[in-house]
Formats: sequence, structure tokens, C-alpha cells
Amino acid sequence: MDRARKFIFMGCESSLVILVEFLEFLGGTANLLYASIVALFRRPFYFRLLIEQCYILGVKSSSIVFITALSTGMVMSLQFGFGLERFGGKLYVPKVVGLSIMRELGPVLTCLMIAARVGAGIAAELGSMSVTQQIDAIRALGTDPIKRLVIPRVLALLIMTPLLTVFADLVGIFGGMFISNAELFIHPDFYYHEAILSLKTSDFLVGIIKTSFFGLLIAFTGCYYGLKTEGGTQGVGQATTKSVVTSSLLIVVSDFVMTKLFWIFERK
Amino acid sequence: MKETPNHKPLIEIRGIHKKFGNKIVHRGIDLDIYEGEVLALMGGSGCGKSVLLRMIVGLEKPDQGTLKYNGKSLEALSEEKLIPIRKKIAYVFQYGALFDSFSVKENLAYPLREHTQLSEQEIHNKVMATLERLGLKGTENLYPSGLSGGMQRRVGVARSIIMNPEVVLYDEPTTGLDPFNTQQILKTILHLKQQGTTSVLVTHDMHAIFSITDRVAFLKEGQILALGSTEQIKNSTIKEVSSFIHGESY
Repeated sequence: MDRARKFIFMGCESSLVILVEFLEFLGGTANLLYASIVALFRRPFYFRLLIEQCYILGVKSSSIVFITALSTGMVMSLQFGFGLERFGGKLYVPKVVGLSIMRELGPVLTCLMIAARVGAGIAAELGSMSVTQQIDAIRALGTDPIKRLVIPRVLALLIMTPLLTVFADLVGIFGGMFISNAELFIHPDFYYHEAILSLKTSDFLVGIIKTSFFGLLIAFTGCYYGLKTEGGTQGVGQATTKSVVTSSLLIVVSDFVMTKLFWIFERK
Repeated sequence: MKETPNHKPLIEIRGIHKKFGNKIVHRGIDLDIYEGEVLALMGGSGCGKSVLLRMIVGLEKPDQGTLKYNGKSLEALSEEKLIPIRKKIAYVFQYGALFDSFSVKENLAYPLREHTQLSEQEIHNKVMATLERLGLKGTENLYPSGLSGGMQRRVGVARSIIMNPEVVLYDEPTTGLDPFNTQQILKTILHLKQQGTTSVLVTHDMHAIFSITDRVAFLKEGQILALGSTEQIKNSTIKEVSSFIHGESY
């Protein structure tokens, strides 16, 4: 009985710790968001750093986004092709693949890959700077770490995640077209007509709005954990892990919430 | 034990209290720092010397008390309003805190690019002159990872003084350095003193304290236990001070 009570107590305690950490995260990122909005409109503006971050965070992520999107499009085409063939619905494959990639899988998988590559990179870089007092040095030299480090990363992700998602959408649909043609014998013209031309503007916009929001989530989560890093190399490792786990979970959960909201909005 | 020059202090510290969690770091510190002097903050580990130094440049805020620079209160200033103060008060970090993705030249050019309208040629000339002054000529294209610990500290000093600050705060500038690097840093502090720059050092290096400082403040348990001229502190009869100087337990 005592043992059972101890386990229950431990379970409650760890849940409480997670809750407190999450509330701390919410408060911390809200503060960071506020400080970033205030700093965004103050001089100086670091355009060169923004371009640099667009290249590092965006352009350099294009290869992993390409591979992920291509594989996803191909797998979906294959799975739906064989699945729908049983019911004589093979010709619906282009529509299903196009719609799911454009509205759902393109934005979510692209941002999950960016969270893993870029979110981890931001947390590790800022975390290393924190534990080696480089953030303090930026402040002591009369400059603002939010302006120099946070804003260029946030803006770069806000700009680059939609662009990468459009790229992923196109690559994913192309991957689906390739497999549909090779394995399901669906003609590319028919695939193109069904996949692209049957999509509505709102399908495209839903994906772009989602991905912009995910980009902000990744940037602020990475910056928050990076800037509050303490405790040397171990702290940097923990910050990196927390950043990837938190932003991935937030992407998945907020995707559901946004999908539901768009669904309600679009039905009206 | 007090000896204070009769002019107005440049930095006034009054009734500073600070704690981190349950750990009390400062319990009411009062200290005046005068223009052009070299003041050492001395005391055992964890007595709050470095935190006090960080407060002067606004990297930490006191829980209670006031800090004034040239009559202007610093404790309530926002990060943005501290920027002009930080151009005048430079901070030398214990391990240099150099930007590891920048070369030595870029590290030194950083404050000049941020705060001045100098051309790239003028920045280059100023960087090279400062490097030469600290015996670092030839390191401009190296990255911090390619420098020895002593050279990193000297580059840290060079970056801090390149804007000609009025006050330089040094956090253990010579700890763990070889005699050559130690001497280079002490020479720089003395050179700056001749130009009228005020220096505050947190150090355990008795040689540094007794060779270059004008005054010494001895901190214990978050308070100033003794404050006086270097000579007075050297010959102090306060048990804790003399024991600390002579490396005995106190």
C-alpha cells in the first residue's frame, strides 16, 4: 500500500514539474515575443544578419526538405494507389495526394524537419554563447542580443518556412506523380490536372498560414531554450533536446487546433 | 579603515543587497569609486565581488540599493537606456568571452561597427593599433579557438578598451596566466591609468593588487570588511584581511 502511494506521489510530482516547466516556457516565450516586437522597430536593423540567417536556416535546409517531401509524395501515392485500387478508386490518388500534401503533410513534415535541424541548431548555438558569456559580452558591449540574435532568426524562419513548404508541396506532388505513373499507370497529364487544378486557393493558404505559425514556434522555442541555457556543455545538450521535443510537440498539437479552426471557418 | 580622495566619486554604490534564490550575496554594500583610480575588489570565492562588478555595468540588478555613474542612477535603467553607459564602462570577462565565430579582428571591430561611423579603413587601423599595443600583432586573422588562454584574455582586454572607455571593469584578468601575459595585462591597466581611465579589478592576484592598485576593498560575506589604500590593506591588522593576503585560512 505504501509502495503504491509512493508511486502515485512520484507520478503526481513529475507531472507537476512538467506543468511548472511548461508554464515557465509559456511565460518566457511570451516575454521574448514582447521584447522582440519592441526591438523589431528600434534601430539598428541588421539586414545582413537576416540574409545570412535566411541562407543558413532556410536555403541549407532545402536538401532535407526535398528528400522528406519526395519520399512522402511517393509513399502516399503508393499506399493510396494500392488501397484505393481495391475499391476501384485508383483515379482519386492525385486528388488525395495533392490535397493531403498541400494542406497537411507539406507544412507539418517540412516544419518537423526544420524543428529538428534548425531549432536544435538555434538552441545549441545560443546555448553555447550563453555558457561562454558571449551573450553577456554582447550586452556589455552596448548591443542587444534580442536584436542581433533573436530577431534575424525569427524573421528568417518566418520568411523561409513558407518558401520551403511551397517547395516541399511541389516536390511531394511531383514524387506522387512519378510513382503514380510508374506503378499505377496514371498518366502525368491526368495526375497534374487532378492534383493541381482541383486544388483551391484556400488549400494553399491554409498550408502557408500553418507553416508561418510553425516557423515562429520553432524560432521562439529554440531562442528561448538557447538564451536560458545554464550549466556548461550538459546544459547545452539539454537545451537542444528540449527545443526539438517542445517545438515538435507544439507543431503537432497546434496543427490539430488550426486544422479544426480552419475547418470551422471554411464551412461557414 | 578608510581613505577616500577628496573629489566627487565617479561611481557611487549605496546599500546594495542581492540574493540568488536562498543564497545572500550582498548585505548592504557601500562603495565609492573615484575617477582615474585603480581599485581592487578582493575576498574569498563566493563573497560577491564579480556580482558587484556585473552590477556596475548593468548585467545584474540589485534587489535593493542604488548605483550611480556620474550622478545618474543605473539600477532601474532598461537595457536600451544602459547602452550609452556601456559605451563608457567596459567589462573584461574572466575568460575573454570572445565571439568564437568571429576572427580576432572582427571581435575588435564589433564595438566600432556598432557604435561609430568609422570607415572600414579607419576601423582596420584602430584594430591594428590596439592589437599592437597589447602585443597581439599578427593574430588579427586567427579565431579565438586558435589562441592560447592568455592571448584570448588580452584580445578580450583589447576589445573592451578599443572604444576608449572611461571605466574598465576587469573580472580576474590575470588568474591562471603565465608571467608574460600577466605582465602585458598589468602594463595595459597602468597605461590606461596614465590616460586617466578608471579601473576596477576583481582579483586574487596579490602581485597585481600590490603593484598597480591605488585602493583595495576587501569583501567578506557580502559586505565590505575593509577599504583603504593598497598600503593600508597590505599592513592591515584585521585578522581576515591579513590571513587572506598571506594565504592562511581565516
